[in-house]
Amino acid sequence: MNNKVTVTVDPDLEALIPGFLENRHKDVQAMTEALNTREFATIQSIGHSLKGVGGGYGFSRISDIGAGLESAAREQDSAAIQALIASLQDYLGNVEVVYQ
Amino acid sequence: MTEHQEASHAARTSQPTVLLVDDDDDILSLLSVWLDKAGYEVITATSGREALGRIDVGQPQLVITDLFMEDIDGMALLTTVHQTTPLLPVIMLSGRAQIPDAVKATHLGSAAFLTKPVQREELLEQVERAVNRAADPKIDAAFSQKLIYRSRIMTDLVEQAKLVADSDITVFIQGDTGTGKEILAKAVHDASPRRDKPFIPINCGAFPEQLLESELFGHEKGAFTGASAKHEGLLLAANGGTLFLDEIGDMPLSLQVKLLRVLQDFQVRPVGSTRTYPVDVRVISATHRDLATAVKSGDFREDLYYRLNVVPLELPSLAERREDIPLFIEYFLQQRQDKGRKHFAPEALDYMVSALWPGNIRQLANVIDLCVTLSKTETIPLSLAQRALHDEPGRIQTLKEAKDAFERDYLISVMRITEGHVANAARIAGRNRTEFYKLLGQHSIDPAQFRDNGGD
Repeated sequence: MNNKVTVTVDPDLEALIPGFLENRHKDVQAMTEALNTREFATIQSIGHSLKGVGGGYGFSRISDIGAGLESAAREQDSAAIQALIASLQDYLGNVEVVYQ
Repeated sequence: MTEHQEASHAARTSQPTVLLVDDDDDILSLLSVWLDKAGYEVITATSGREALGRIDVGQPQLVITDLFMEDIDGMALLTTVHQTTPLLPVIMLSGRAQIPDAVKATHLGSAAFLTKPVQREELLEQVERAVNRAADPKIDAAFSQKLIYRSRIMTDLVEQAKLVADSDITVFIQGDTGTGKEILAKAVHDASPRRDKPFIPINCGAFPEQLLESELFGHEKGAFTGASAKHEGLLLAANGGTLFLDEIGDMPLSLQVKLLRVLQDFQVRPVGSTRTYPVDVRVISATHRDLATAVKSGDFREDLYYRLNVVPLELPSLAERREDIPLFIEYFLQQRQDKGRKHFAPEALDYMVSALWPGNIRQLANVIDLCVTLSKTETIPLSLAQRALHDEPGRIQTLKEAKDAFERDYLISVMRITEGHVANAARIAGRNRTEFYKLLGQHSIDPAQFRDNGGD
């Protein structure tokens, strides 16, 4: 499912976006590790941050996934968490940013 | 509103410094960009402890802090900040929209409580408000001492008034009788740099034309019959201060021209005088009338209207700010009794809060006066409150009362149409006859009344 997703971002934020997306890749990594060791609190916390920060940068999808991760982690639902991490990873791989 | 934009522009040119505190770097970067683009100086801290150090050194005009942080959280930071700098506003950010947190933060004195993800406009709006509020504690004091409110509608109005208070901007207050127009005008005056100069109110509707002219502009000795001495006039008396022209809509057209000239040239020429006097006065005007309509009908000069109506402030009726009624009741009760502790019974209080108050705050004050005077017991009963309000006029009915009233009116009109013929009336109403009779009985309506000449 390699569908490109185009996201329009405020040009004021252009300089921040590469770092922002880089941090999200790190989140994916950290959550994958946390899932392996069943550290749900870590996932819940990262999900919470994603929810709070994604929309502000223009990536409302990241906020949505973050919200999902937060509640799935609270329920310790590993399967759902895995699917959400995968969808975040997929999104990050396919997102194209347009500044305008 | 352009004034609003001007005011915010003024705030920007002085570049207030904002301290941002959050342990999430992505949030810090994002908010920094937004604030920087809006013209604020930004300093950041990633912990509460670091923030305290930054406050001492950077002397920010505003702190925006995350609620949940490792070492010192937002609440603790707010408390600590206010111990040393009580006037420094703090805006709280939280990832969770939890009402208890928001309530606690408000009680602790946070200027605003925002939930992540924060919207750019929302954040900038709150920042602007907080920074403006912080600008001059005297402005805050003037409004909080004069006005009694907690309703949203009044809060917004006061915010607007604060923005224009600290200037010479001509303010126009629109509001019904008894809504407190003069009190708002006085608060604007007290919040302005003119606060130590006179505030002179005059009701333009209370004087006949010639008298109003000499009251406002003054006159020379012998300017007209009865002018036995020179009179300075209120415009000159208010020099350096504020002139409050209440019921400006009642000002005769001939005086409107004269007033316009004063507002354009800042010169006053008293009646019968050959010379003019310079005058520096801020004019706040008010009316309960719809001046725009008066302009259309030619009763009010358009040029003067635009001159006066630079910043309109619309005072809500008391019914539009019911949340404030209990505050007023408490205030007036306290004011009207030195030692007695009279208070309203709960159902009397409910009744007062739900009344319509066509006479607004003034009427409320009168009713409370009457209740305090007439009540023989400490607890003012519902019946007395009702009597004091002359009962019905305007009180909001219960649904049952409203339904009953409607039903009764309906039955009467159907009976009138059918001239008292019950079978026909029942058919129109879509009810069977026996049921219709029951309804008539419940409302004590006698069909015979509607028949010509009494019939049977």
